[in-house]
Amino acid sequence: MDNFRHLTHAYSQAPWRKQTYLIGVFLLILVSAAIIAGIYLNVTARAAAVGREIQEMQVRVYGYHNLEGSANDTDVPIEELDQNIANLASQLAYLTSYSVMQARVKDLGLKPLDGSHIDYMEVPGYIERQTTSLAPPPEPVVVNASIIAPEFKESLFEWVTDQVSKTVRLFGEAAP
Amino acid sequence: MRRYMSDHVVPAGRVRPKPPIREATEKPYSTGEKAGQSLTGWRFNLLAVLFFLAGVMIIIQIVRLQYSPERNEFVLQGEQYSRTLHIFYPPRGDIYDRWGRLLAGSTLVYEVGAQIGNVDNPDSIAFAISKVLVNHPEYDYAGYSDDIYAVIHQAQISGTAYVQLADFVTPAELSTLQEWSRNYEQLPKVDYGEAGKPSLSGLVYRPRLQRYYPENDLGSNVLGFVNREGTGVFGVEAEFNDLMAGVPQSVWMTLDPYQVTEIPQLKAGADIVLTIDREIQAAAEEVLDKGLEDSGADGGVILVMDPNTGEMLAIASTPRLNPNEYWDYASVFTNNVPYNRAISQDYEPGSVFKVLTMAAALDNGAVKPDTEFVDTGSIQIGGITIHNWDWGAWGPQDMLGCMAHSLNVCLTWVATQVGAGPFYQYMQSFGLGRPTGIDLASEASGRLKLPGDTDWYEADLGTNSFGQGVAVTPIQMVMAISSVANGQGEMMAPHVMRSMVRDGFQYTPNPQVVGKPISVETAQTLTEMLATSLEGESSDALVDGYRLAGKTGTAEIATPTGYTGNATNASFVGWGPVGNPQFLVYVWLEKPTSSPWGSVVAAPVFHDMVERLVVLMDIPPDGVLQSLQNH
Repeated sequence: MDNFRHLTHAYSQAPWRKQTYLIGVFLLILVSAAIIAGIYLNVTARAAAVGREIQEMQVRVYGYHNLEGSANDTDVPIEELDQNIANLASQLAYLTSYSVMQARVKDLGLKPLDGSHIDYMEVPGYIERQTTSLAPPPEPVVVNASIIAPEFKESLFEWVTDQVSKTVRLFGEAAP
Repeated sequence: MRRYMSDHVVPAGRVRPKPPIREATEKPYSTGEKAGQSLTGWRFNLLAVLFFLAGVMIIIQIVRLQYSPERNEFVLQGEQYSRTLHIFYPPRGDIYDRWGRLLAGSTLVYEVGAQIGNVDNPDSIAFAISKVLVNHPEYDYAGYSDDIYAVIHQAQISGTAYVQLADFVTPAELSTLQEWSRNYEQLPKVDYGEAGKPSLSGLVYRPRLQRYYPENDLGSNVLGFVNREGTGVFGVEAEFNDLMAGVPQSVWMTLDPYQVTEIPQLKAGADIVLTIDREIQAAAEEVLDKGLEDSGADGGVILVMDPNTGEMLAIASTPRLNPNEYWDYASVFTNNVPYNRAISQDYEPGSVFKVLTMAAALDNGAVKPDTEFVDTGSIQIGGITIHNWDWGAWGPQDMLGCMAHSLNVCLTWVATQVGAGPFYQYMQSFGLGRPTGIDLASEASGRLKLPGDTDWYEADLGTNSFGQGVAVTPIQMVMAISSVANGQGEMMAPHVMRSMVRDGFQYTPNPQVVGKPISVETAQTLTEMLATSLEGESSDALVDGYRLAGKTGTAEIATPTGYTGNATNASFVGWGPVGNPQFLVYVWLEKPTSSPWGSVVAAPVFHDMVERLVVLMDIPPDGVLQSLQNH
């Protein structure tokens, strides 16, 4: 028994070596955790910064504009462009409205034609005026389809799950 | 390192001498304690216990809150701070006339407000806005400046982040405000005393669309208007409000920077293409206004319809409102005058109704065009005596003569020949007593008393036969008479929407036949009779070169004390060209003062309208058309 104890003692580490070992392992874990935390912090901080930037752009575009104007006023959203187009179309309609055109006719010294001054003639192949067609060329209409890729909306867990399921499906299809 | 190993690791095979067993030393302190540290040790333990208890209490509190009655309230409060609601409004659909001319579109307006945290000088903001918006109808009142200041001051006290100060600000007004702002910014930095440096800092704006009518009051009775809340009122705007307004989308915009909120793709409202022709509408309104001026009538209506399709080419009614200034509604429409008389005001039409009576009698076979009636000047029916408009006796007359001279006595006799049952069946087939279903809001149904109703008497058959004692709207008369005017006996549904543009596609519904109350032969026979009678009377309604059919109408106006003798409703209905009917025109003048007779005041209005109509519709005179066809 004594021999056995002596043998054990012969192969045991010195206490200070054990402590060094433990401290090393602890420091390794600590440093690893710090590195991961640092990377995580860096990535999330950048994500947060970009997220805030997007939110500020949304506020700038869809929110209120400063009266003084700003350097970012060139960023005009599609909705505002549509509004400007609608506004210009209305202005054009006013400029060609009945009352304005009548005033222009009067200014030019013209007067409406009555029936007695009209000569009618037969024009072969003449196609009478057709009523208006306002519809643009048909195009696929996608209503409420998301334009944000799923990668920007799913969590890491969801992404991993999705990738695993895709891989499993791939192997399943490849299997004879 | 190897040295150290050799120092402490004993090679196998060698046995180190057993070291002497160390005697247990005296241990005056318990395990883990060292001399002088016992006091510190229990403090640490106490601290650990306290921290442990605090942790446990926090966990207990967390669990308790999860199951507390206030849980939902807390969750709601949390959500309020984590997101904001934003409503996206799609642009309202436009309205066009049949040739694509814009009748109702959109224009830019601005909402102006203050972000309270950035406001430097509320006095400057109040002063600037009240001065710039001085011509703005909504803000042109004394004390507006004080109101603005009070609103900003109140918001500063209550901690409100944003307050709206003005809405519907025009681009020109906003431009002026921006100019003021720039001028204030350029002021020198000197001591401005108690008032402080003028500044519009904190003043913000947001653009949006407002309904705009480039033709102003042209066709306003048809279009209606859009009110401050963005809802269509009257006319097409009200009838197709849901279609044109689109569907607003509410989106909770997250404040969490790790989440993304997608801006929704808005589905724009549908565009509407009307059957109305802007030029014909303008002509109808001009002719009507001149007719009112010449006759001194209180109000009037001109309807122009394509009797082959039921398309309304023009609906002119008085008074008219500029829908860009819809807030004047109450001052324009006084004394319960409807927004569109043509569809919302029923009246006793008088002799134009004889067209329907004669149509029923011809179709029923009760009379033929050459059926003779001896007019003695009066006829008894249901206990009352009916007289002619001139109280005269016209002697032997055929049906053509009865219509040409508009004889009440004759038409009463004709109605009795048809019989009450068939007569009212025909009237119902003509759509009287119920709305036509025209695609305009606020249509009235009129009133047709029927045998069996408590207020129907036999005498009503006589009075109804010449258009008294029956209430119809002009649009009902137009729909009913379209069955005669198109020569097919088919009654066309009147409508103003020609097509609708939605999701990139244009939908054009087919013309609807409401019914066929009379035969083709009846329609053509009656048209020929009315064309001949019009020519025979040398009516003011006639237009050179075109053969037209038509009928005048003069009706006394019912009051609570009986019919008035000095106020009438003057009407005229006509269509043409008889060989190929392309238009049906209905004229109604209410209470004309120059003359009570439809033949005097309404027929010339019809004439003026048709004279312009044939030019606008490119309808050649009958002679020209005939010669072209012969070549």
